[in-house]
Amino acid sequence: MSTSDGWLAAALVPLLALVPVLWRIAYGSPGDRLIGQNLTSLLAGLVLLLAAQGFHRTSYNDVALVVSVLGPTGTLIYARFLDVLPDSRLVRWTALVGVPATVLPLCVATGPGRAMAKLLLIGVLLIAGSVVTSGRGAREGVTA
Amino acid sequence: MSPRVRLWVFLVGAAGFAALFAAACLDLPAFGTVPHPYGVRAVHAALSHHTANVIASVNFDLRAFDTLGEESILFSAVIGTVVLLRQARDEHRKDPEPATVHPPVRRFALLTLPFALLVGLYVIAHGQISPGGGFQGGVVAATALHLLYIAADYRALERVRPLTLYEIGEAAGEAAYVITGLAAVLAGSAFLANVLPFGTLATLSSGGTAMVLNAAVGLEVTSGIVVLLARFLDQAVEIEEPGEGGGSPRDTRDSGGNGDDERERA
Amino acid sequence: MTDVLIVVALLLVAGAATAAVLNRDPMRQALVLSFLGLALALLFTFLQAPDVALSQLAVGSAVTPLMILLTVRKVRRRPGSGDGVDKPAGRER
Repeated sequence: MSTSDGWLAAALVPLLALVPVLWRIAYGSPGDRLIGQNLTSLLAGLVLLLAAQGFHRTSYNDVALVVSVLGPTGTLIYARFLDVLPDSRLVRWTALVGVPATVLPLCVATGPGRAMAKLLLIGVLLIAGSVVTSGRGAREGVTA
Repeated sequence: MSPRVRLWVFLVGAAGFAALFAAACLDLPAFGTVPHPYGVRAVHAALSHHTANVIASVNFDLRAFDTLGEESILFSAVIGTVVLLRQARDEHRKDPEPATVHPPVRRFALLTLPFALLVGLYVIAHGQISPGGGFQGGVVAATALHLLYIAADYRALERVRPLTLYEIGEAAGEAAYVITGLAAVLAGSAFLANVLPFGTLATLSSGGTAMVLNAAVGLEVTSGIVVLLARFLDQAVEIEEPGEGGGSPRDTRDSGGNGDDERERA
Repeated sequence: MTDVLIVVALLLVAGAATAAVLNRDPMRQALVLSFLGLALALLFTFLQAPDVALSQLAVGSAVTPLMILLTVRKVRRRPGSGDGVDKPAGRER
């Protein structure tokens, strides 16, 4: 198995994790669905980062950059209209564990430079977005 | 038409479509194989015009006229929305109530706003170099402005969003595209031909008119989406129809608590 | 390996699209639609079409949900939308 295949195989992990998330979004309770939406953009960001490395196209990281900015925005829009922003340990820990576990190996593979700075930026944005949108007590005070 | 007949009509249609679709699929070239002749020529044309992103070259150089059509679709769609969602004579406007937002959400949204705006501008500016371009970046930039609605409320967004300016920006973007095309005619070439110097490959100023047209589309899309969302927000937050049960939509639900029930009931 | 990714993404797209059709509540549909948008963006990226993926993401992740949610709010505020007399609200029984 070549290294690029390895990265793509790694991308399969967050991609497959999207399957149960889809189930929760389609059939879960309102809070669950919002958690699912949040988790989807986080996992999609990780898939995109790994796929970019697997295809050897650093410019594909722009797609992950846009996800890391717009994903939490989408979640907050839903939160405002649904009046819930559920506290979710799942999202928080997926972000705190999954993002470094993805971004740091990618940084090692990329080597220092602008591409690495962009990777770190995307990682920080993904973590910040997920932590804020899954924060404890965020539920009170969010009204339309 | 009774449900039974409707089902039969659907089944016949679906069966016909399935047969034709399967027949068409059998004649397709194999998945992900030989380079397409058009692809080879497009890449060649893009590189000869110093445009690193071949898609941008196809959009703004080889098929710039198609893109003018697409831009005009968005332009006229936004105008249509503005006309349809205008304030009618018997509707009245009320001030949107201030919303309370959880402090971390407010901080996060306010911090992300300039950042998202920057990402949008970056995607527009690098259209001819890396994936993205005027449309994609324009939508991101327009979304970024609406983080202010998330961070505070609609009134805060209205205060920093001079709508007239965006309406002018939309028209200017569309006009800039046409004018660039006409300028090529004045320069003795065809409409929308790439007559500018091509610049150095993979720099911000590369691509000749592709870069200019990309920027024009970026301006048009950013302004267009802002105007579009403004109409929707006006309708949902400010404009009240006659007889609409007094006050705001916020009165109908308790904050936070039973928002879920409210949704389930519907 | 790319083929595996494409197949999984295709299945996700098919599943999300079916779920969007089967759900009746517009709010629920909006969330499923968001998922569908992201799944499509992943599929486009696996097919090496990042430009299309970016378009899909830009439109699907914030602008479309905002427009749907604003429309739903407006429709529900209308007098008579509760008993489904008004045409636009009739669908969400």
